[in-house]
This record gives sequence, C-alpha cells and structure tokens, in this order.
Amino acid sequence: MTNEMPVPDPAGGGIAPPRARRVVLPPYRQRAARPRSVRAREWLRQNLVPSPTGTLLTVVTFAVLAAILGIVAWFIFSYANWRVVTDNRWLLFAGGFPHDQEWRLWVGLGFVFALVGASYGMWSSFGRRDILFMVPASAFGVFMLAHGGAALWSTLWFAGAVVLLAVAYFACRRVPREHGPGRTLAVRALSAVLMLSVPIVFMVLMAGGGADSDELSGYLLNLLLAPAGIVGGIFVGIPLAVGRASKLRAISWSCTFYIETVRGAPLIGWLFVALFILGDIIGGDLIVRTMIVLAVFTGAYMAEYIRGGLQALPRGQYEAGHAVGLPYWRTLQLIILPQALRISIPPIVGQAISLWKDTALISIILPLRELIGSSRSAIAQGEFITNRIEVYVFAAVMFWIISFIMSRVSQRIERSLGVGER
Amino acid sequence: MATEQTASPADQAAGTPEDIIVVENIDKWFGDFQALDDVSLTIKEHEIVVVLGPSGSGKSTFIRCLNRLEEHDSGRIFVNGIEMNDDVRNLNAIRSEIGMVFQQFNLFPHLSVMSNITLGPQKVRRMARQEAEALAMQLLERVGIPEQAEKYPAQLSGGQQQRVAIARALAMQPKIMLFDEPTSALDPEMIKEVLDVMRELAQSGMTMIVVTHEMGFAREVADRLVFFDEGAVVEQGTPSHFFENPQEERTKLFLSQIL
Repeated sequence: MTNEMPVPDPAGGGIAPPRARRVVLPPYRQRAARPRSVRAREWLRQNLVPSPTGTLLTVVTFAVLAAILGIVAWFIFSYANWRVVTDNRWLLFAGGFPHDQEWRLWVGLGFVFALVGASYGMWSSFGRRDILFMVPASAFGVFMLAHGGAALWSTLWFAGAVVLLAVAYFACRRVPREHGPGRTLAVRALSAVLMLSVPIVFMVLMAGGGADSDELSGYLLNLLLAPAGIVGGIFVGIPLAVGRASKLRAISWSCTFYIETVRGAPLIGWLFVALFILGDIIGGDLIVRTMIVLAVFTGAYMAEYIRGGLQALPRGQYEAGHAVGLPYWRTLQLIILPQALRISIPPIVGQAISLWKDTALISIILPLRELIGSSRSAIAQGEFITNRIEVYVFAAVMFWIISFIMSRVSQRIERSLGVGER
Repeated sequence: MATEQTASPADQAAGTPEDIIVVENIDKWFGDFQALDDVSLTIKEHEIVVVLGPSGSGKSTFIRCLNRLEEHDSGRIFVNGIEMNDDVRNLNAIRSEIGMVFQQFNLFPHLSVMSNITLGPQKVRRMARQEAEALAMQLLERVGIPEQAEKYPAQLSGGQQQRVAIARALAMQPKIMLFDEPTSALDPEMIKEVLDVMRELAQSGMTMIVVTHEMGFAREVADRLVFFDEGAVVEQGTPSHFFENPQEERTKLFLSQIL
C-alpha cells in the first residue's frame, strides 16, 4: 500500500482543487424549507416508485402484505374462538397454582413490575417506543383478565402492579444521574435485589403455605425457569470463561472439557439427565433439578461468549491494572470483566432469548406443564378440541412478548453502556 | 504500604541505600530469542535515566522487567531494597512503589478520568474516596487538565490521555516512574504537552526511567543515558558524553541515524 501511495497522489493533487470548487452543496436550510407535501412526494418517489421495476415490486409487496394482514385480521376477529384462551386463562398462565393463593401471583407480579420500573428509572428512561409497547401490552393484560369470575379483583390487582411500576420508575428517576455516593448506594441496592429476584419470587409464591413446587406450571413456570437458567448461566459462565483462559493447564482443560461436553449434546438430552440421572443421584425437587440443568447448559454457552469478550481486550488492560498495583483477581474484577461483559452483551442476550424459548421443550419430556403443556391440556378438554390453532397462536405471542422485551432491553443496555467506548 | 526496609538483609546485597534499583546480570528469553543478555544496571534515587536503542534492542523488555510485567529468567532485581521474585508480597510491595506509563496509554475505557486515577489509591492503598478524589484533582491540576475529570478516556485527545495516565501512576505516590515510549503514539503537536509534564516531574526529584526517542528531552533532562542494542547495554554516560563523544561504533551509528 505504501508503495502505491505516491502514484495517485500527484494526480489527485492536480485534480483536487477544481473539484473542490465544482462541488457546491445545496444549503441545508433551503431543502428543509421546502413544503412538507413536496418532501413527502419526493420520499414516495425515491422509496416506492423509483422505476418501472421498482414500482412493480412495490405493488406486489403491498399486495402480499395486504393479503397477509387480511388473513390475520380475519383469523383474529372472525374465525378464532378466543374463549379457549380466556376461559382457560388460569390454566394457561398459572396451571395448577392453588386458586386460594392467587394474591401471591399478584404480589410476585407487582414485585417484578416494580423492579422493571426501578431499573428503567435508574439506568434509562421511558421513550415513546416503550410507551407504544406498554399501552397495548397492558390493554392485552386487562382484556385477558376482564372476563369471567373474579374479573374485577384481578383487574384491580393488575392495575396495582402497573401503578407500582410507575411509582418505582419515578422514585428511581429522582436518584441523581451523575456518579456520586447517593447513586452508588442506590445502584448497589437495586443490583442486589435484581440478582436475588428469582429466589425472592419463589419465596413469595411458595413460602409459608403457598404453592407446592409441583403446582407451578403454565406461563408462570416458563417465567420462573428462564431467569433462573439465564442468571445461573451467567454465574456459571464467568468462572468458566476465566478458567478456560487460565495459564494453568489443569484448570483450562477442565473448563474446556465442561464447555465442549455440555455444548456437544442437545438441551433435550440434558433435560433427560435432570429427569432420570440427577433424580437418582441427588433426588430433590424436579423444578430445582431442571433449573440446575438449564443453568449448567446455558453456562457453557455464556462462557464462550464471555471468553470472546475477554479475548477482545488488549493485554495492556491487564498490564495497566498490575502497574497500578492491583493483584490478578482484583484486575479481573475491576478492569477486565466489566469490559468483557459489556462486549458480550449482544450474544448473551441472544442466548437468553434462545433459552427463554427452549423452556417450551420442558413439557415434551418432563412431567412439568409449562405454557405449551398447559395449551395441550386446554385443547384436551373436549369443548375446545377444534381450537388448537388459537391456543398455539396465543402461546406464540406470549413467547414473542418476552423475547421482544429482552431484545429491546439489550439494545438499551448497549447504548447506555456505550459511554466512554474505545 | 511498603515501609522503609533499610535494615533488611536484601538491602546489603542491593548496594548503598540510595541505589533504588539494582539489576544484576538479568537474562530474558522469548522462546529462542534472547531479549536481554546479562544486563546489569544500578539506578540511584532521584536519578533520571533515559534508555535508548533501536527497536528490538530490549529496552522496553528491560523496563517491563522492573515491575515484572515480564519475568526475568535469571539474575536478580532489587527495587527499594526488596528482591523481585516469586513472592507475591514482594511483587505487590514493589509495584506499589513503581508507577508506569505506557506507549498506548492503557487507560481504563469503562471508567471516568477521575475513577481511572482514584482506582489504585482506593483499592490498593485503601484510601478513603474523598481523599482519593482530592488527590486526583490535585494531580489533574498538576498535569494541566482538571476540567476533564468527569470525562471518559475516549473523549480526550492522545496527549490528554497520556497526561491522565501519568496522573494515574502518580496517584499511587510511587518512588519510581517508568515511561515506556510515552510519546510514540502521539500526534506531533501533542508530544510537547506530555514532555512538559515529564520535565516538571523530573525537576520535582522523581526517580525516572524513560524509554524514548525524544533526543531533545534526553539531552535536556537525563542524568544518564543508557544505550541498548541486541539485548545488552552497549554504552552509558551523561548526555554530553553521549551526544558529543560517543565511544562505541554501534552508538555512533544509532545516533547518526536518529539525529
């Protein structure tokens, strides 16, 4: 490259000055001042009808889109019998959860909503898109609740949870944004609660005469298993990633062995392990065993993503840590891992979304009824035997909602951590 | 943390008390390549030593051995009377006495300028936050950029980043400062601001070991120049000896190429 440099240089030097004079950019304001209708027409022309072929493609695309939308609308509003969902909402959402303990579900939901609000208030802020998502989501929630039995009470509980979210959001907005002792304390407290949120929710649902573990099912079970697997997976993955990069062969080989073994078999195989092998060896609660397997499985993947982050950091970061006097572990904790984890956020969230949907596998082999299992139970009632499409479409939407939230949150985190990026 | 150890047996081996760094016959190999070949050097307290040499001559490896970013394979190194060996306590004691400034700055990009500087004092010296921040502000004023305290490294120019790196090293209140080509990654117009800070530091009595190609700085500030080639010390002496009357052919060749 360096050899070629001088060749175009003199030629470019001769041409550049007149070219610089010739290119006169239209003043920006002049364009902005054009009437809105002209700009709209311009946009339409450029993006929709640029040429005969382009126009044809636009027409075809719109026709196909219209057809799909028409079919979807016809399905939702005319064909489908949503009673299979609304009548079975307890079964689908909470499965075998005892009805007289319903308040526990709402307290748990309120806790989770409060955490969501607090996190948003602390680290981000609600934008128009978040509201655009939350309003229909809440409306959907109310619609689900506003039929049958104790509809009024459930709707009130739900509204209470939404209020908690808002209160936590505005409370955390009051925490100063700048770095300082007050903020540090608040961030630490919130992080601690977030990390303990899964056990806390379990306590709310089960402690002191609550549900037995075999009564946890439906969508609730997916919502409990996935975070346990994801959070557990990160905690398993970090030491594995660090260990795999270790200079001590015994450690790096064991970590590599673990990672390759776990990734070498499908999740469904490991779920069999939870059901049979772990059951024989350690026994105990099937849900706990399943959580362990999910964490162990996810941890192997997380470890590889975090290792990627570790490798992306220049060696100078370790050296600078040592030069400042930090021992190896402190360097890792204070300098290396915060940066490596930030780099790994996109694949970690990808794995989280993947695990979230994989929780549907559980009902295939384990005697646990998560949302898909509950959907089958709903269909199995003679009354709704012809409504299987409705139930599965509903289940798909429920999976999509959480996946969508996760990917949005991941974008948020990436953006807000972008400060001070290299 | 590392208290004066004037009476320790290691000190006897390390020569007179004002010899703050004693390097005895160290070798360093990278695979089959010998980076340091029987290097011995003694540096006195408050001395400013500039290390010169062509690239690959082992000068960076040498100063990186002084705080064990590289481990020497044989020979002995004493810093402040403490021997550098596999004893982690010695290593931590030595590292907290030595500040280092890197060619690529190596600031922590996820921390603000303030946190970059206060991290060491808080986590290693166990200094209270307020105290560490006051110290950091004082140092940022000393290097001339107090207004950048809340920014992140990526928001600063190269020269500013390197000055933050100097402040970060000084925050540990070291006895010795190592500079590994501190201006080589900088745009020409930013070199001066960094050299000015280093000059001021030299005047304050800091013991400094500087690997650099800035001959003006070397001539003006150094007490002693050490010329490395092929992993060995070829020649050393005062700037006037070095620039006006070099003895070795390799030194003359190097100076003729660089001046």
